[in-house]
Amino acid sequence: MSGFSFTQAAIDPGALAAGMAAPAAGGFAAFEGRVRDHNEGRRVTGLEYEAFEALALDEGARIVAEAKRRHGVIDARCVHRLGALAIGDVAVWVGVAARHRAEAFAACREIIDEIKHRLPIWKKEHYEGGDSGWVNCERCAGHGQGRDPVHGDAESFDYSRQVALPEVGEAGQRRLRQATVAVIGAGGLGCAVLSSLAGAGVGTLVVVDHDVVEPSNLHRQPLYARSDAGRPKAAAAAARLADYNPSIRVLPRAERFAAGNADAIAAGCDVLVDCSDNFATKFLVNDAAQRARRPAVLASVHQYEGQLQVVRADAGGSCLRCQWPEATRDGLVGNCEQAGVIGPVPAVLGQLQAMETLKLLLGLPGQLQDEVLLVDLLDCSQRRIRAPRDPRCAGACARIGGADAAREPGALEVALPLVEAAARGFRIIDIREPEECAFAPLPVAGQQAVPMARFLGGAIELDAEGRYLLVCAHGVRSRALAEWLRSQGRDNVWSLSGGLERNGAGS
Amino acid sequence: MPRVQLRYYALLREQAGRTAETVDSRARTPGELYAELAARHGFRLAQAQVRVAVNSAFADWDRALADGDEVVFIPPVAGG
Repeated sequence: MSGFSFTQAAIDPGALAAGMAAPAAGGFAAFEGRVRDHNEGRRVTGLEYEAFEALALDEGARIVAEAKRRHGVIDARCVHRLGALAIGDVAVWVGVAARHRAEAFAACREIIDEIKHRLPIWKKEHYEGGDSGWVNCERCAGHGQGRDPVHGDAESFDYSRQVALPEVGEAGQRRLRQATVAVIGAGGLGCAVLSSLAGAGVGTLVVVDHDVVEPSNLHRQPLYARSDAGRPKAAAAAARLADYNPSIRVLPRAERFAAGNADAIAAGCDVLVDCSDNFATKFLVNDAAQRARRPAVLASVHQYEGQLQVVRADAGGSCLRCQWPEATRDGLVGNCEQAGVIGPVPAVLGQLQAMETLKLLLGLPGQLQDEVLLVDLLDCSQRRIRAPRDPRCAGACARIGGADAAREPGALEVALPLVEAAARGFRIIDIREPEECAFAPLPVAGQQAVPMARFLGGAIELDAEGRYLLVCAHGVRSRALAEWLRSQGRDNVWSLSGGLERNGAGS
Repeated sequence: MPRVQLRYYALLREQAGRTAETVDSRARTPGELYAELAARHGFRLAQAQVRVAVNSAFADWDRALADGDEVVFIPPVAGG
């Protein structure tokens, strides 16, 4: 049954709520939108609602279904009134039954916001004095002078200096307000991207990050406060941005960008911005962008340097897979934790990503396409490397669906104390660099030490019959290497889950 | 013997201990040049994990090198 309907009759909130009783529902939240007696300084005596019903019914059902799925609630429904209404009448009703109050409130809020934002519904207001006027409730319909009745008070945010740019103007600002940008990763890059796009007035920002704020993030991630430690980054970022610019909408998704949600996120946005810190995610973003034919703006940093690439999947441009070899794997190069990072580097690269995103949305000239920009902040240099599309890619990218496409966890990892794994007959290979091995030797005898790059260089032969367990500090490199070896047809290799950090201690 | 301008990034910069250098090399291709430099500087990344750009364009490892070429070795980076 669809969760959304129209009615010509008066809405009875009590009856609707009673119809949603569920034994597992510990929380029930409802919202009633009522006809008020004034609008924009004029006294309103009544109004009429009119909808493009076929379209609105589908879209309404989609909105309710999305909110149910996103917040994991038991039931959600929305009823919208059509026809003539008097002051105080219920115009729209939303009810959500959930296990707990938090998701009930969140889903209820999202449904009413989305209904007001996306549904093709018009209202005709009757004013004191006998005249009347049509008001489109849908977004971007020129309600008043650029007022957007949906997202708080748009007038409270002043875009005048940006609108003053001849290439932006009112029309450009409207395009930004209509746009949806998904930002994958709310770390150093993501903080810069999100604050700039929020300030620019991008109407909807989707923040995808499964991580929580850690004290070691704060020096380069100024969206978060010390008191946010332990809080999901998506939620903390959304709260901060809502405070910063209440005229936009921020949708937090505290989940990993993964094969299961990648296509839905890509299809629901105009531009994807990759601010993740690992290749697996970067390739997922790239591939989802290709399938949905959306542009993706990708960046990465390493110590004092960064790389920026705009993948024009919507325009037949080259993509990440044209540039980077199949052997590109996490663990080859250090992440921020291992290599170190200083705040301005992700901030600068993130701002470059924000600028490329705005150029795409506004249609500004000079967009980066089929190029990789290398930025070195130690010697203040930038270098543009031409990166043409691989001629072997005819229509769509020929490599999507390769070894990188679905990197979901499988039976690749062994979660045992190292000593026990050795006792069970695994042949242990320490793939760390020599200085790491010297600093923290393995607690087992008889292991081999073979740095990762020697494997990848093809220098190592493994026996077909042995069972090999690869070990590194945190389990990231060993997992990546095991994955790569499996892709090379080696099915007798495993990775020590969590590395020495988690499973290195005796037994 | 061709003389080439080299520029290193990220991990390769660290391992080479320099940002740039000019070398005279017998290498005929970027692949041969990388092998030569990997031995000299102790690069730990295999050629398959690195991209090379010649004169500001990504290039194949087996293209011919010419005197005066500018060669940039670029490892992938993923920090965010």
